[in-house]
Amino acid sequence: MIDVDPREIIEIIGRNGADAPLISVLEEIQTKYRYLPREAMILVSEAFGLPLSQIYSVATFYNAFSLERRGRHEACVCVGTACHVRGAKRVLSHLEEKLGIKAGETTPDWNYTLDTVHCLGACALGPIVVVDGEYSGQMHAKKVDELLARIEQADEGEA
Amino acid sequence: MPDVQVTIDGHQVSVPANSTVLDAAKVAGIDIPELCAHDALKPIGACRMCLVEVEKQRVLHPACTFPVSEGMVVHTASDAVLGARRFVLQLLFSERNHFCMYCQTSGSCTLQDLAYEHGLTHWEFDRAFPKMPVDASRQFFVMDHNRCILCRRCIRACDELVGNRTLGLKNRGADTMVIADMDIPFGDSSCISCGTCMQMCPTGALMDRASAYMGATDEITRVPSRCSLCSVGCGVELIVRGNRVIRVEGDWDAEPNKGLICEVGRFGLLHERRQRVRKPLVKADGALADADWDDALQKAAEGLKSAESAVVVSGFSSTEAAQAAVNQLPGKKMALGGALVNGDNAPLSVLDETDLIIVADVDLTEGYNYRMASFPIKRSARHRGVRVILLDDEPNGLDAWARYKWSPDEAERAVELAQHAEMPVIVYDQHSAALAQELAAQLPKAKTIGFAPEGNTAGLAEVGISEPFANDGFSAYYVIAGEAAEVPQELMDALAKADFVAVQASYREPWEDVADVILPSPVMFEKDGSLVNTEGRSFELKAGVTTRRPSEVEVIERLGALL
Repeated sequence: MIDVDPREIIEIIGRNGADAPLISVLEEIQTKYRYLPREAMILVSEAFGLPLSQIYSVATFYNAFSLERRGRHEACVCVGTACHVRGAKRVLSHLEEKLGIKAGETTPDWNYTLDTVHCLGACALGPIVVVDGEYSGQMHAKKVDELLARIEQADEGEA
Repeated sequence: MPDVQVTIDGHQVSVPANSTVLDAAKVAGIDIPELCAHDALKPIGACRMCLVEVEKQRVLHPACTFPVSEGMVVHTASDAVLGARRFVLQLLFSERNHFCMYCQTSGSCTLQDLAYEHGLTHWEFDRAFPKMPVDASRQFFVMDHNRCILCRRCIRACDELVGNRTLGLKNRGADTMVIADMDIPFGDSSCISCGTCMQMCPTGALMDRASAYMGATDEITRVPSRCSLCSVGCGVELIVRGNRVIRVEGDWDAEPNKGLICEVGRFGLLHERRQRVRKPLVKADGALADADWDDALQKAAEGLKSAESAVVVSGFSSTEAAQAAVNQLPGKKMALGGALVNGDNAPLSVLDETDLIIVADVDLTEGYNYRMASFPIKRSARHRGVRVILLDDEPNGLDAWARYKWSPDEAERAVELAQHAEMPVIVYDQHSAALAQELAAQLPKAKTIGFAPEGNTAGLAEVGISEPFANDGFSAYYVIAGEAAEVPQELMDALAKADFVAVQASYREPWEDVADVILPSPVMFEKDGSLVNTEGRSFELKAGVTTRRPSEVEVIERLGALL
């Protein structure tokens, strides 16, 4: 877990104001830390005058929020019916093998979180892999390798 | 708005325009099953049990949330409605693990009653048998998620009525679960164990440890009475089976608590660990030993006659007992817990009307006293945006609900704010009466609620026992203590020094070391009589059980006859 600086969270809350929508504040915190730290939820609860149970309800209701720290990149494999018959299972197991984690887990270096989803509504493109919101269609093992290599390159370029 | 005409199952009724179909059905005397709806809560239409057919509407609608309109025609027992109810029940029963024969609520369960009523003989759908946890981390009651139907009554009660907002939901869909705070054990959470959620629960998901498996609806009787443990005097129902009180519930129709009671009122006496005094006790050779009534009364009379004696009466006594003490017993009469702090009290209901509350150096969430009064303050702060000002140097249970917290020395800051309020209310007790007076003097519009120190202190004052205990060097004391547990140190010191002490008490503690004679006294469940609460209202105490022991008044009269 990373250290959470209360000042940063108070800054986020302050910038949004006490009558800001709760979800947008939680989203900002989620973006910053890639999860919702407990300390942050307590601070939000105090600032908004909302009970902890309500903050927690919102945080666990939406898929966009996570209570566990997520990886830098979020990879998501569609395993809906259309993708499934087009070989999503093989794509998923290849990704699991490459990243060394199971679906729902995060790599120890916090680089990737791997998830599955049941249908993205783009069945013609199946099997689909979404990384950081970017859709890649008609995936297979080789294209997965290429995709990962591209991301790695981009990361190195940034570094 | 004028009333509207609605026809329900052929009965035409006239109801206010803002009613729901369920309200109208109640007026028409038609029973619509409900699980998530409750008279004390706002409807949310979660359980779908109250689905009804409304003519000219495409689909069935939940009666609890559907508003009436002029000329509306409603059917509550058509084939479509009954089919839908049966379907909803099948879904409710298939979701988690409902095994009525093992459940303590079997026989008094709304869900089970509905299943019988609608002829559910088997599970229509395949069942998932999910592994659900049981949370037994609270002292007095247990949450069994296996039996939860997610009607959210508990959550809404915690929020709307108590204002504590401990309970919530986590996750979504089939993974939804009732949680406390951020999904921590209930016992570690901000739960105050008032048990309102348990009283609300329509299934067996919340289990009272003391009364589990002790009696179903047709085996118990409900005795409406009063809680005399503090000066709020909440209306309660004593749940009695076999001459034994197994549970205490809040009486929904009672003022001033409207169905709510606190941890002390609901669980206090049933979980009392002090040893009861069941027979008269007389000190012989330094130890208390059983005696018969005549000997014990004789001994008490001798001790009291031989010296200058005083009578100390606790507010746990009924007004009748206090009256008997005044009439029958010689010596000065004093009030054990302290004196009445204010003769001009506003009713507690002002807490639900006010726009600003000053809590003057008193913690309403601790100890024996006035906990119920914290509920309207909490819900006002949460739901009506009422400003709560705490004047307290110590941590206070209302900290999280207070808008401002200052030291009692900074009372002028509270006055400054309260001057602009429509109707400020000042809440205090005997320890902060001076502070409250100072505040009230500067706030002409303010109403004050000064809590009497003990259950029936106001009743004692009515019969003339209004002086608080003061050590005037009496050498013998007769203490009418009842259930009293918290006794002023000054009194205990005086009793320890006195030549003779006789006590009329329900429990041996804290009297065994100082008393020469202890006479048994009934507890609240065993008493008939009346009490006057802190608002000055007179209430009737009704015994839930009968005992062979003489009543409070009888003991005093018999003793009086010997003096």
